[in-house]
Amino acid sequence: MAHTECCDTNRTITLTIDGSDVQVPSGTTILDAARKLGIKIPTLCWLEKISTTGACRVCAVHVEGVARPMTACNTPVKEGIKVITQSTELEQIRKKTMELMLVNHPLDCPVCDAAGECDLQDTCYGLSVAKQEYAADLERLPIRYDWSLLESDPNRCILCEKCVKVCREITGVGAIETQSCGDRAVVETVSGQPLDCDFCGNCIAACPTGTLISKPFKFAGRPWSFEVKNSICGFCSSGCQIEYHVQNGKVARVTSDDSTYNNGNLCINGRFGYSAFNAPERLTTPLLKGVDGQQRAATWDTALSVAVSATKELVATYGAKAVAGIGSPRATNEENFLFAKLIKQAIGSANLDSEARLGYAQAQEIQASMLGMTGATQPMDALEQAGSIIVLGSDLKAESAGFGYRVIKAATKHDAKLVIASARPTSLDGFANSALRYKAGSEGFVALGLAKAALNQGKTDAGATDGLDGFKQSLAAASFDQIQAATGLSEADYNDAVSFINGPVAVVYGYEFIRSADAQAAVTGAVNLALLTGADLYPIDEKNNTQGMLDMGVIPGADGKDLFQIIDAIEAGEIRALFVMGSDLLQIMPNRSRIEAALKKLECLVVLDLFPTATAHLAHVVLPAAAAPEKSGSFTTADNRTQSFTAAATPPGEARPDYVILGDLYARLTGGAIPSLAALQQEIAVPVKQHLERPAFAAVTPQAPATGSMTLLIAPFLRHNGSYTSWSVNNLQVAAEATLRLGTTDAAKLGVANGDKVTLGANGTSVSLPVQLQPSIPAGLAVAPTHFRTSGLTTLLIKPAASLTVTISKG
Amino acid sequence: MAQVVFSTWGNNVIDNRSVTGEPAAASFRLPVAFDGQQPLRAFMGWDGLIVFDNEVDIPAMAAEYMQRVQTLFCCGKCTPGKKGTKVLADLLQKVISGQAKEADLDQVADLNALLQNCKCTLCPSSTQPVLDAVQYYRADFLAYLNGGRTAKQEKYLHKITAPCMDKCPAHIDIPKYIEEIKNYQYSDALATIRENMPLPAVCGRVCPHPCETACRRKNVDDAINIMVLKRSASDYEWLHKLTPPMVPAPRKNKKIAIVGAGPAGLAAAYYLALQGYPCTIYEALPEGFGGGMVAVGIPAYRMPRHILQRDIDIIQSMGVEIKYNMRVGTDISLPELKAQYDAVFLAPGAHRSKPMGVEGEDKGYKGFLPGGIDFLREAYMGRPTGMGKKVCVVGGGNTAIDCVRVALREGAEESILLYRRSRNEMPADVWEVDGADEEGVKFEFQVLPTKILVDGNNQVTGVECVRMALGEPDASGRRRPEPMPGSEFVVECDTVIPAIGQDADLGFIPPEMGIDISKWNTVITKYLPLKDAAGKELKDGMGNPLSRYLITDCEGVFAGGDAEIGPLTVVACIGNAHRAANVIGRYLEEGTAYLTEQEIFEDLLTYLGVYDKNEAVAWLDSAGRAGQKEVHGKERASKGNYGEVELGFSDSTAQAEADRCLRCYRMAMVAL
Repeated sequence: MAHTECCDTNRTITLTIDGSDVQVPSGTTILDAARKLGIKIPTLCWLEKISTTGACRVCAVHVEGVARPMTACNTPVKEGIKVITQSTELEQIRKKTMELMLVNHPLDCPVCDAAGECDLQDTCYGLSVAKQEYAADLERLPIRYDWSLLESDPNRCILCEKCVKVCREITGVGAIETQSCGDRAVVETVSGQPLDCDFCGNCIAACPTGTLISKPFKFAGRPWSFEVKNSICGFCSSGCQIEYHVQNGKVARVTSDDSTYNNGNLCINGRFGYSAFNAPERLTTPLLKGVDGQQRAATWDTALSVAVSATKELVATYGAKAVAGIGSPRATNEENFLFAKLIKQAIGSANLDSEARLGYAQAQEIQASMLGMTGATQPMDALEQAGSIIVLGSDLKAESAGFGYRVIKAATKHDAKLVIASARPTSLDGFANSALRYKAGSEGFVALGLAKAALNQGKTDAGATDGLDGFKQSLAAASFDQIQAATGLSEADYNDAVSFINGPVAVVYGYEFIRSADAQAAVTGAVNLALLTGADLYPIDEKNNTQGMLDMGVIPGADGKDLFQIIDAIEAGEIRALFVMGSDLLQIMPNRSRIEAALKKLECLVVLDLFPTATAHLAHVVLPAAAAPEKSGSFTTADNRTQSFTAAATPPGEARPDYVILGDLYARLTGGAIPSLAALQQEIAVPVKQHLERPAFAAVTPQAPATGSMTLLIAPFLRHNGSYTSWSVNNLQVAAEATLRLGTTDAAKLGVANGDKVTLGANGTSVSLPVQLQPSIPAGLAVAPTHFRTSGLTTLLIKPAASLTVTISKG
Repeated sequence: MAQVVFSTWGNNVIDNRSVTGEPAAASFRLPVAFDGQQPLRAFMGWDGLIVFDNEVDIPAMAAEYMQRVQTLFCCGKCTPGKKGTKVLADLLQKVISGQAKEADLDQVADLNALLQNCKCTLCPSSTQPVLDAVQYYRADFLAYLNGGRTAKQEKYLHKITAPCMDKCPAHIDIPKYIEEIKNYQYSDALATIRENMPLPAVCGRVCPHPCETACRRKNVDDAINIMVLKRSASDYEWLHKLTPPMVPAPRKNKKIAIVGAGPAGLAAAYYLALQGYPCTIYEALPEGFGGGMVAVGIPAYRMPRHILQRDIDIIQSMGVEIKYNMRVGTDISLPELKAQYDAVFLAPGAHRSKPMGVEGEDKGYKGFLPGGIDFLREAYMGRPTGMGKKVCVVGGGNTAIDCVRVALREGAEESILLYRRSRNEMPADVWEVDGADEEGVKFEFQVLPTKILVDGNNQVTGVECVRMALGEPDASGRRRPEPMPGSEFVVECDTVIPAIGQDADLGFIPPEMGIDISKWNTVITKYLPLKDAAGKELKDGMGNPLSRYLITDCEGVFAGGDAEIGPLTVVACIGNAHRAANVIGRYLEEGTAYLTEQEIFEDLLTYLGVYDKNEAVAWLDSAGRAGQKEVHGKERASKGNYGEVELGFSDSTAQAEADRCLRCYRMAMVAL
């Protein structure tokens, strides 16, 4: 047979189903064609977002001229075929197939978690499967009680493989697969060991029966006994559309429908992180610091009065500039807008900033100057159309899983080529055509190397020209030898990476670039690379509303001080009152002891938070705030999608939404009315973001990175998000504490094994962490997570940077 | 002579159980004795059952057959398969243990019908012999009810197969790797391929893919593009820089010398290295030209050097040593090797061009080149080929096609192919001929060169030819070409390259070693004495004994590849060398060279034939075969352009193509 090139997929096919004509594109399945006609064919193993399986066989249909039934779910249409979806024979086949499926199926529906939302029940009911003709010897398979967060009862499994495919195709993990043969075939971990995966729980959602269930939800209640409310996830910057299942005002589980923007896919934080909101440590009452330094419960009125009168007094004495505010990437747009209004208008201070000053804010300033646009230049679904994706300094699934899933889909299902440059191994490396491992701190040079190679190989786009000559000169000025000395990557490595540039390009940059020791060069380099290759650009932040907070103007006003200058000014005695909303400065800022001393120096520290954070402990007034599910408002994702939601749960105790607290403070400070949420939403001017007509390159010369024999990279890890999830028992079950990830060479050099303690030293301080071996980590690098409040890792830092030179010793 | 007692094989019922007088004649492509010794008493498989011995307990065999299908091979990935075969297997066990009722037997037909709606072919095909057994041996089944009989203890052997994996000389588990690609498990697919194919990048590109001629999907529309799917799995690892996962067993102390770094030598080294044996390959060509005929016989536009080298590098990374520039017989003698190693595997290949039998070919004319394979080798190695501007290649095989296409890339202004039969009868692969056509090669079909013409300087100036008419079919089934008197004509050229075949140069084997050489210049190895009912010896497609264990008459010396089989294909050499590696391992561990029952069964199934081109396969032909992308236009054959012509699949195309596979597994079982 001749080898001909691939078939034409753009044809329209006309076929007849149950006597009705329908036109569909070639490649469409009979099932989809029937759906277009509104004809429902029963299915159990079919799931739109994964490849077809054809396991359950209940979607059998007749095609005229074909002497056997075909399964509608995985049979493409053909011009002119006549399909019959209903007949006595088909009904018999479907019924008998269901009877076979039910042979030895456990009769524990009364205590099965899936009862009430079981596809098997529904399909049996729908097909009137009321008898059982078949029997076989009963063999029971052991239930996996030893997995974390999930439980698997293989006896309930109908082997539809949806879980297996969701795990492999959507989340790119492939932790489970079908093992054994015949009736003993079972979905098991690939290793046979207890489940060790991302714990995203997307398999639970895909399971049509009660085989895979959520342990934290087990026996929590019948599905119909919960109030289900649509909302937006409050963890990362992907902004997944979710459903809170609420009972007695508390979130009992989180799900997401496949019809959502995120196709129903969540990560561990989205699905299981809700236990943070139910944590017993939640602040439930306002606290006031007494003269003895102890915080004691107070009424809202007292607490707010104290905060307002102290502020007024300080403003009266020292002027408004003695007050500063720190907004929150966790709070809603409305709350950040009101916070900015409170600080800038009600108090009259320009000293307003946020933790985004640790990197993301400056990155957006760079983007604004070069492109005219902050956040991503396209919504994340455009990633699926990219011919090649370059990920710079980000473990996408750890930082913002929704972006990670999109990139996996682009690479595996849409043939996008993937280049990942990261100092550490990432969860997407297995999909990468080129995974460049650079020396942490050399991010600016990495961007330079890629741009230089792209230019040399002609992998460029003719679009942007402003500043191009200067940029080219800066590329010419840096030799590959210099770049290699800084990054550890050769010209051949860069050439190989850019050889995969093909078709529309997307450049995604994340934590390591944004928090680089030379972030100016790294981010500018990323934007230059995007301009050079004509790429869409996607900045990634770990938190849900960093972009929205910046859009709402939580940035210093004219002559106002930024985050670092605020600390300086506190030390200098210029700032005496500080309002902190949802931001644990002590945990996230470098030089913890200095920050602690500064905050202690304040005459009035007002903290709004969910949890008794280290920063809250220093506060004069602590105001307990509501979490994402307990309030209404909107979040803006890193790709500029603003999504509104309304409250689903009840705040614990006397906790109140930040907008309520801020509104009260605003009214008390101004003497005006409490602004309503609706009024705030009216008042907010939605920022119109547009790409500059003439975006411009910016020449940049990276600084030589610090050299040392061991570099510590502190970065977001899988299974946690920010510090929120360090209050979530569910997340803690699968990632309980900060560990230091080391490669085999360095572990051997130190003579340490898993669990052994090592001491990290830098800048005159030290912290001790248990070791976790990860063979893929290169020699000379140690990696530790940002998430844990008690790790003390930020004490090692004296400036904001993801990486630093450390000493490391056993014990 | 074994008599067929009963058979339903091939929808043809033969029942000699109670005939008086002359029994119905029937013959099957099966030996009378499984391994030359143990009588083959009954055979059960996808197409029914064949009984040679009336004493075989058919109900017990059917029950065991279904039990093995359910517990060993049913993938469990569809409802009727998983549960239906379980119900059926348990039902038959109930019969055998005397706990069944007569009505239970009626459910067999019902289940058989229901199982026809399975996802793949294994379970539905497995119900066929059971259904036949219940229908035609009903009395025997009934005898079991009420505990009336106890099952006989019999020796059964089973083997899983599929038409494609049977036809593949390397017996790659093709349905498995295709299913893995369909499920986006490229690395798993490659691991499956490597179980039987250590040069996946090579056989993903240049394999003549006999598997595709036995693809059941062909009975619906077109065969699955099995070869390019193999390339997809292989290229995925390369394009994602994944580390091959093979971990050789702990190093053993017995070591093996291998003659030749071609497909057979490399394959044997790969599987011996996996077993832990230190292997040293002696290769006559210099470093950078490993790969044997795949390297110097297949041009780089079909098999890019760096990709071939990657497969070789992987084998070396498993601990295999390759000594280049070491021609056995010149740089080291075979007896020396035998003395230094515990076993020697001869895989020198077939690199000697055969003479054309035309007037003037032995005169040493300028422009008359020694042979196609020599021309390809010199070109591949970047050495002067002696080629002029107008090149005539004589032959119709892949080597001849490679020569005309390489001639263009070496700068020939005209490249002409002379072949004595018609285009349709060329042994070369169709797509290779089409490729040559696209590149501007000129063809002269049905012509026979009769004389090489030269000028006063003995420089070739042309070939005198005569036109051929096609007569009656010959032994190969092709019509025999016969010269047409008076049709003589001259093809002008300055270069003639005969490319009509090659054989092995076995001059390095000293006669005193006792290694037998056949009249076709192949090494003779030991084999099982398999005979059919008529007493005829069972042979493979090349006329060699069917089941060979590849040891020569010289103790410790084994042989494989083209030099043992006769010049064939990369994949045949690999399959043969893989078997040799297994036998060598047994020889070194246990002191005897033998074939396992599974290996013998494999040969028997190949002889029987698993694919049936006449089978009516009910399926909707709504997904056509995908072809790989390729570079088009004459420029692809411009001077010096050895860039790869075929470009493989995108992953999404591979996944869709894999989804067309019907997964035609089936299980055979014999009673001995």
